[in-house]
Amino acid sequence: MKQNLVAEQRVMEEVKKAIAEGIDIDPAGIKAESSLMKDLGAESLDFLDINYRLEQTFGIKMARRTVIDHMEELFGEESAIDAEGKLTGKAAEVLGMRYDGYSAHIRAGMDMDELPVMVTVASIAEGVTSLLDTLPENCENCGAKNWALQEETLIACGGCGEPAAFTSGDDLIEEWLKQIQESKKIF
Amino acid sequence: MAENSFFTDKVALVTGSSRGIGRAIALAFAGAGADVVVNHSKPDGASKRKADEVCREIEELGRKALAVPADIASKASVGEMVEAVSSWRGRLDFLVLNAAKAPFKPIEKLLEREIRQLVETNYMGNIFCIQKSLPLLEAAGGRIVFISSLGSRFYNPSYPLGSMKAAMEAVVRDCTESLAERGVFANGVCGGIVKTDSFKTLRQYMEELEHIPDELCVSPQALAEVVVFLCSPAARGIRGQTVVVDNGLSNRLYRPAWVRKPKS
Repeated sequence: MKQNLVAEQRVMEEVKKAIAEGIDIDPAGIKAESSLMKDLGAESLDFLDINYRLEQTFGIKMARRTVIDHMEELFGEESAIDAEGKLTGKAAEVLGMRYDGYSAHIRAGMDMDELPVMVTVASIAEGVTSLLDTLPENCENCGAKNWALQEETLIACGGCGEPAAFTSGDDLIEEWLKQIQESKKIF
Repeated sequence: MAENSFFTDKVALVTGSSRGIGRAIALAFAGAGADVVVNHSKPDGASKRKADEVCREIEELGRKALAVPADIASKASVGEMVEAVSSWRGRLDFLVLNAAKAPFKPIEKLLEREIRQLVETNYMGNIFCIQKSLPLLEAAGGRIVFISSLGSRFYNPSYPLGSMKAAMEAVVRDCTESLAERGVFANGVCGGIVKTDSFKTLRQYMEELEHIPDELCVSPQALAEVVVFLCSPAARGIRGQTVVVDNGLSNRLYRPAWVRKPKS
């Protein structure tokens, strides 16, 4: 369900903080539209560190694998990236649906190395928000409907204190891809 | 590392030394008195910025430093890197194979391109470095040190890199014999849990890692000093070995690593 305990603005602030600490840069220079790799100089290892920081902050599990990885796992090798390392038409269509705001940059035949460049501060914040919005109605432990904040960003049960069990990032991507496939039969 | 006249004016090339263990090795060589080539993967972005910082730190120790971008998976890039080393100081005494890049997934989930990348960077790339550096190493009576990890001999979840580390430990044994007649020797250093940037990644896949007490983690400096030792005359009798430097972590079999010793 859509949660309203952690405000979107707070999510953005925490994402900026995680990036600043993860790649050791001044938070003042980080904008919502900044590309982590192109504008902020992040490397692939840094993404994982940033994810880790966000997991600790919000009690969530960020996706370990990309949407591309999941597509190939579900629909077969080379369904998303062809033998030449280029994005397939089907994968471009799916990514265009997932990242509305960036669809102008996504095209079939683009090099797979260009994809991580499209990860922005805002896209990470959207990812965090979508995970927080998997908050269940009731606490899995005691059944209470009484979510409360602990330490400002961690959602836990107001009854028994159990941390909220959010859907993991990987499960969320997989569910979404299965829905898309069900309705559009792309692959 | 204390300064040692043996290292003065000698040159070390450390692959992947803009951060983490590689950076510590580059600084340890500089501390011992050597000049250092800091290899990093990408010609721009954080990779270059960090490599330049390491070079500055080396220069502050009174040594010369050169940052050279090269993706070791490309034989042509490795050739250009060695050319750059050659025209910089005209010699290479120590080659440290530290660079590594790998996906974190169970082996059965690896896509074909990920398997290729795994082998191209962590096996072929290291061999390209050995092949291309050989004329310079031979001229200097040089040393090769490969940086391995406990993943070469123990299971770690989602760590296919371990299989490449094992392969490279075999390469070390192999080439120390085949290169002996040319006066070049190879050894390895197998690191335990080192709290560097890669560790931050690894802990996402192995939550148990968080419970390993600091006393069972090894510092990048402790590992780096063994690398420098293996390049020193004191280690002349050690050949084709991979030395485990893990603060005793792998010595624990029946007692989980995270159980602390009771105070007596």
